[in-house]
Amino acid sequence: MADEDETKEYRWESGYEKTWEAIKEDDDGLLESNVADLVARAKRKRAALKATGAIQLGMMRHLFVVVDASACMFLQDLKPTRFLCVLKLLEVFVHEFFDLNPISQLGILTTKMKRSEQITVLAGNQKKHIEALQQLKDLSCEGEPSLQNSLERAMNGLKNMPAHSSREILVLFGSLTTCDPGDIQKTIKALKDNNIRVSIIGLAAEVRICREIAKKTGGTYNVLIDDHHLKELILSQVQPPAVAGSIEASLVKMGFPGGTPSVNDGTSDSSADHAPAYCLCHIDSETSSLMGPNGYNCPQCGSRYCELPVECKQCGLTLVSAPHLARSYHHLFPIKPFIERAQVPDTTHCFTCAKLFVEAETNVYECENCHQIVCLDCDLFIRETLHTCPGCASDPVTAQMKTN
Amino acid sequence: MEDKEERIETSLVAIVIDATPAKKFASQPLDGSSMMNRIFDSLIAFGNAHLMQASHNKLAIIACNSKSTKFLYPSMDGNSRSYQNRPGQYDMFAKVDSDVRHGLGELILNDLTDNDSTKSDSLLGGAMARALCYIHRVQRELSLSHQLKPRVLVVSGSCDSALQYMTFMNVFFTAQKENVVIDCCMMDTDSGLLQQGCDITGGQYLHIPSVAGLLEYLLWVFLPSPSCRSKIVLPPPTKVDYRAACFCHHKLVDIGWVCSVCLSIFCKFSIMCTTCNTEFKLNRPAIVPAKSKKRARIE
Repeated sequence: MADEDETKEYRWESGYEKTWEAIKEDDDGLLESNVADLVARAKRKRAALKATGAIQLGMMRHLFVVVDASACMFLQDLKPTRFLCVLKLLEVFVHEFFDLNPISQLGILTTKMKRSEQITVLAGNQKKHIEALQQLKDLSCEGEPSLQNSLERAMNGLKNMPAHSSREILVLFGSLTTCDPGDIQKTIKALKDNNIRVSIIGLAAEVRICREIAKKTGGTYNVLIDDHHLKELILSQVQPPAVAGSIEASLVKMGFPGGTPSVNDGTSDSSADHAPAYCLCHIDSETSSLMGPNGYNCPQCGSRYCELPVECKQCGLTLVSAPHLARSYHHLFPIKPFIERAQVPDTTHCFTCAKLFVEAETNVYECENCHQIVCLDCDLFIRETLHTCPGCASDPVTAQMKTN
Repeated sequence: MEDKEERIETSLVAIVIDATPAKKFASQPLDGSSMMNRIFDSLIAFGNAHLMQASHNKLAIIACNSKSTKFLYPSMDGNSRSYQNRPGQYDMFAKVDSDVRHGLGELILNDLTDNDSTKSDSLLGGAMARALCYIHRVQRELSLSHQLKPRVLVVSGSCDSALQYMTFMNVFFTAQKENVVIDCCMMDTDSGLLQQGCDITGGQYLHIPSVAGLLEYLLWVFLPSPSCRSKIVLPPPTKVDYRAACFCHHKLVDIGWVCSVCLSIFCKFSIMCTTCNTEFKLNRPAIVPAKSKKRARIE
């Protein structure tokens, strides 16, 4: 971003950026093709930034989100107030986070009045976090934030997590000051020793200590330009980060409930497995739900849950279903970027969407493995959403390859 | 924010047909015409029935076998083939009929070179991925006054292919994200993967007992759109087996060991992961440090 690049001159030193000069009319006096070209180039640039090779990613993430709730969050430079804007975006973030990292856990902290408070504990349940965020809207923002207190509290929560998980803290900091009880350098050292990555998103201006924390712990520090940029910055944290190389690998025991028992498997099914029972996830709340035969039984202790993924309260086994793990597989086998080529007269249609190539589209994209030609929109769709090349899946040689 | 004007609902059905020539079907004659002919006649009739529901409705048909996948309708051939329609027949019906038969002929001709095509798996994953890309394109091109309601109908008779697991799962998650409902009509065998897909996207899975009645099943169960399915009594949802298969024996496991790096599943605890070759550290704490801690406290 322009703010963090120290070698670039400030805007008032280099004169105005004449952005209107980028738009030119073509021969007929029409602007359409030029605009389409600019849009296409912007799209490609965004997509190209995401293309990474096969590096080790932290799949099981334990992330604490620290929200600044100090007096400066009532400023209205983000509509309606900074605090409400951030909460709204965090709801989207929570939804996307669990979508992309189903076996991860999230916790929320706030900091105000020189202290930090825990809103939700580290959990994998999406609804609880979103409900908590909605209740936070009534919170009054006052006092001064304390960076050290919130980092220490998050660190206490993350210290006991297993070594194979990726420990992260995301701080949304809107203030230019912090009020700390002790030496923050000691906290930074402790964070580094515990392998915790701290990423900070600044809402006001760049603060030196935030830059230092992010740099020393291996995280990122960005300051937003406007609310769209804030959304992009928050959503960029959804992607699993590359592992620094010091995470231990271990075998985690997990249960896969929800099987239809068959004679061949050898697993015995008693009628107790499908009898109505109270589910353990709601047993503490006032309205506990009586489940019909539709819940999931923990394979180790037999307790009933209504939704997955969940950590069994009775025996501590993590219960997931196979699609949850499969959601993360596409990070491990990313598609190589497609090669950009000039249009060839032989291929008249895009392979994946059967769209006719028109003259205005100068560039088409080819997959290295299967050599099928696709249009720009399909390229972005494949890269961002589908995560598998339809051309490779339609070729008997490449489709049968075990993804290794 | 509610729309002040009602948006026109455009229903798009993408039919994905598995045209793998299973020997069982190709050789079973029924009333003079072979089973394959009857299956495709039923599918064309179903497609036309869908187009007949509303003038805005759209259709796409993709066929696949073990060699390749092909868009049957809309046809990707540049030349406009002349088609004869009976007087009074809606033009589009004749076009669908002609395109599907011609495309299918080409697809089967391409497959004739290999004799043991029934041994390798059908490329259903690739065909479904193309269907999703087509749906995405139609969504983009549709004007704002129309609201697209897409769904994919998979008609297949092949067993699951374990090697295409990744493709299938990516397709299902994409469909869930894009609000595309995946329905499945299985003719011969059951498919666990497609059952999972129908469950994930909220579609209908049906295993039909007799292939001769394919058209009846398609029209009764799969023609109504998902929004009105709640008013109809449809076959009950099957209980889907969501257990994972271990990577070493391909057996379904209740409790498994998952590698934290590559997420591969094993049925037994081992020292090294066979997929990503990482060594595991034992989780169990050693007894000796605890004793020494106790000694330190006493002293």
